[in-house]
Parts: sequence; C-alpha cells; structure tokens
Amino acid sequence: MKLYSPSALVLAALLVGCAPKVPMELANARSTYHRASNGPAKTLVPAELHKAGEALEQAEVAFKDDPKGYHTLDLAYVAQRKAELAETLAIHASESGRMADANASYQSTQDSIMLRTRSDLATSQTDLAASQSAGAVTSAQLAVSEEARLLADQRARDAMEALAKLAAVKEEARGMVITLSGSVLFASDESTLLPAAQTRLAQVADTLLTTKERSLLIEGHTDSQGSDEHNMALSQRRADAVRAFLGQRGYDTARIRAVGVGEGRPVAENESPEGRANNRRVEIVVEPAAKAER
Amino acid sequence: MSHHLRNTVALLAICAGLAGCASKTALKTDSSTAAIRTAEELGAPQVAQASLHLQLAKEELEAATALHEDGKKEEATSMLLRAEADAELAIALSRADAERTEAENAMERVRTLRAQNPYSTGGDK
Repeated sequence: MKLYSPSALVLAALLVGCAPKVPMELANARSTYHRASNGPAKTLVPAELHKAGEALEQAEVAFKDDPKGYHTLDLAYVAQRKAELAETLAIHASESGRMADANASYQSTQDSIMLRTRSDLATSQTDLAASQSAGAVTSAQLAVSEEARLLADQRARDAMEALAKLAAVKEEARGMVITLSGSVLFASDESTLLPAAQTRLAQVADTLLTTKERSLLIEGHTDSQGSDEHNMALSQRRADAVRAFLGQRGYDTARIRAVGVGEGRPVAENESPEGRANNRRVEIVVEPAAKAER
Repeated sequence: MSHHLRNTVALLAICAGLAGCASKTALKTDSSTAAIRTAEELGAPQVAQASLHLQLAKEELEAATALHEDGKKEEATSMLLRAEADAELAIALSRADAERTEAENAMERVRTLRAQNPYSTGGDK
C-alpha cells in the first residue's frame, strides 16, 4: 500500500478547501449561456445574447466576491433566464422569418395564379374574337350567297317577263315552259328555222342567256297529220335546230337536251286548223336551279 | 408640565413617527408587476413553458415582498430581479408560441392555395 506524505495530504486538503463550490444556479447559467451562444441566437439575436453574457459576467464577479451569497445566486439565476430569453427570442425571430417566407410564397403563388388566369382569359378572349370574326365571315358569306340567290331569282323573273312578250310562258312543275309556235319557226314539214323566226328566237336566246346556269330541255311537238315515225323524226330535227341555234347564240349546249315528242302530247284538238297549229310547237323548258344542279 | 406643553410634545412625537415612516424605502415592484400582467395578457397561462415562468415570477414577487416586510430590503430587491427575469421570459415564450402558430397557419394557407389551384407552381418552402 502506497503511503502519501502528510504534507501532500495537507496541500490537497487546502486546495480543495480553497476552491469554492460552484452553486447550482451559476452552473446552470454557464451551461445555458454556452448552449445559447452555440445556437441560432448567435446570428439571429446577437444583442440579446450579449446581454445574457453580461448578466453571466456579473454573476461570475459576484461569485468571486461572495461565492455563497444570495446576490450571487440571484444574479446567476437571472443570467440563466437571460440566456433562455435569448434562445426564445431567436426562436421568435426564426418563426417570424418562416412566416415571412410563407407569406411571400403565398403572394407569389397568388401572382402566379393571377398571371395564368389573365393569360387564359386573354387566350379565351382571342379565341372568342377569332370565333366571332369567323362567324362574321360566315355571316358575310351567307349574306353574299343570299344576295346572289335573290339576284338570280330577280334575273329569272325579269327574263320571264321579257319572254312573255315574245312567246307563251308558263310555270309548271318541271320548270318555266316557253312555247313557240311551230308555224312561226318552221315552214311546213321543214326543220330549218325561218329568217323571221331566227330574229324572234335570237331575242328569246338573249333572254335565256341571263340565266345560262340553268339547264334547258327543248321539246319538238307536231300535229297528228302524217305518220308517227315521220312526226317523231320531224319534231326531233326541229328540237335539234333550236338547240343548235341557242348554242350559236352562246348558250352552253351541254346544258341543252333536245327531244322529239312527235304528236304524242297535243295541247289542242287536231281536227281544226287552229288546233293543229297550236299542237305544232317547240317548248323550251327552263329547268329549276335545284334540278339543274343535280 | 402644563396641558399645552403636553400637547406640543405629543404632536412632535407624532411628527417624528411620521418622518420615520416616510424615510422607509418602499419595494419597487412596478416593473415586475407590469411584466407579470403583460405575460398574462399575452396568454402565458395557456402556454406550458410560459405558464411555468409566470408562476415562478409570481412566487418570486411574493417572496420579495415577504423579505421586504421582514426588513431584508437588499435580499428583497435581489429577489425582484428573479421575478422580473421570469416574467420577461414568460412574455417572450408567449410571443414565440403565437408567432409559431401564425407561421404554421401561413404555411397551411400556402398549401391550401396550391392544392386548390392547378395553376400554382413550385413546392412548399
């Protein structure tokens, strides 16, 4: 067993006796300040941390003067609270920053929504304007189309009135029928247009040219004298002659059909000279627009 | 001693007594009392940590008053420092708690706004 010298034991006892015991309040103040000075308080609330440091310093001074005195303990207690206060204020500052960030984020989000909404609104307005513009164009086109139709109808009415002065004109289901007397157009049993007939037919042709988009059907008719075959052939030749003449005047012959009907469709009795004269005829049928388009 | 003289002596004694009372220093509790009241108004009783320090401040104020009544004026004044420190800490804790609640609410508003609107961009901060 190792023995210490009495002098060493005395020295140790003196050292222990000389070092005053740190009171709990001061120990707590030191550790709390140490924690605070290593936390966010250092950067967020340095002034408050400095105050806590000063309070701790006062406590340390008091401890040197009077280690067990009530004032030392109170100052140490206050120093601990000051350090805790600095930590709390740092938390407060941190929360304030978090709230400011959240508010800024809220604002930027609202701005983003507002911008997007405005953009969508502008796009919608542009689309609407384009749609309205397209609608206006369509309306304009419809108006033009309607105007053209009305004009065409007017031309047809005008033509009909003009034709009425040249020949018998009537409206039937198959279209406008212009009837020219055969005796005016052709010599007996002939299919060559008479010179006087050409003048009259030229007037008819000019009138028809105002509605040249219409298809024409030219029917040749005879009276009952002579054989059916002969009358059929004669009526076909006469219809062809009229078709050819209209073609010469500028009407598209592709739109003209010439048909010999013969004596099959009389409009009057064939017993009297007047009746037979009426049956010898050429009918020009101006087909309706819808039928012509088909 | 005549009757008049006796009255004069009594009056002087009363004046001396009053003068002695007036010379006593009153405990200055204004600061700590005001801090305690502020902490209560800020809702310290409803915040756990703040409530604890508020209670400590009240007890320390009572202790200081008692020390003062016992004639231990310096000890009383020193004890008041504790009361003030605890009351101030209670105030700060109450405010920090309110700020934390506000921050949470603000963040929740952002989350709600983003969730309700497909146009919003970016994540939560």
